[in-house]
Amino acid sequence: MTDTDETTPRRERPDPDELSCMAYVDDELAPDARAELERRMADEPELTARVSAYRKLEVLARQVAPAEPADHEWRRLDREGVQRAGLGVGWTLFVGGALFFYGWLGLELFRDDELELVPKLAIAAAVGGFGILLGMTLRARLKTLPHDPYTEVER
Amino acid sequence: MIIATTDDLPDKQILETFGLVRGNAVRARHLGKDIGAALKGLVGGEISEYTKLMGEVREQALDRMCEQARGRGANAIVALRFANTEIAAGAAEILAYGTAVRVAKE
Repeated sequence: MTDTDETTPRRERPDPDELSCMAYVDDELAPDARAELERRMADEPELTARVSAYRKLEVLARQVAPAEPADHEWRRLDREGVQRAGLGVGWTLFVGGALFFYGWLGLELFRDDELELVPKLAIAAAVGGFGILLGMTLRARLKTLPHDPYTEVER
Repeated sequence: MIIATTDDLPDKQILETFGLVRGNAVRARHLGKDIGAALKGLVGGEISEYTKLMGEVREQALDRMCEQARGRGANAIVALRFANTEIAAGAAEILAYGTAVRVAKE
């Protein structure tokens, strides 16, 4: 097989930014170039995403190790219909039941004639505030997740 | 970056010492994984959710320590140690620390 073999997929030359990102992750950039790339990353999300992708690869490469026999059994179990269906049904019932229960509890609380309006509003504000905080935290996590290189570490 | 738990490195001479470098990280799995881990705790065996959590924290702490060493101009860390604690239920903290040095082949 030669370089001119047409069946061999051709790898395009990496562009300068790609080379800089790789060098940045491998800590091979000169201090000035490093500072410049970091300055650009603050304004260019695409560049940040490229660096994150290489960083993930670098962390993954460190983890390369032979799979243990138990890993194969876990993977086989993950593909098994009974296991997948059981987990799916279990989680659906558990989460659905919990959401329904808390919804019902909230409704009953508001229907309770013995409880005055002010405590009801206070409870609604606390629950609503917690929901907003949780939503914002989840949003922040989802936004930063693609830049987290450690999510692929298995052990 | 060479990282070793020993105080010196075979075939290498320590030319300069930069002092203590450390990196710590605290991470948690999400609630769903915590529930899965709690269920596994009932039946025994490896709790892979937490094995993964510890692996993530360890790698992040090591990276932070190495970053600090690089920033000081070191090319190796000797006398590496790990310390860990639990900040909250289901969250893990690992502190990696060592001595940053610059070494050259003897």
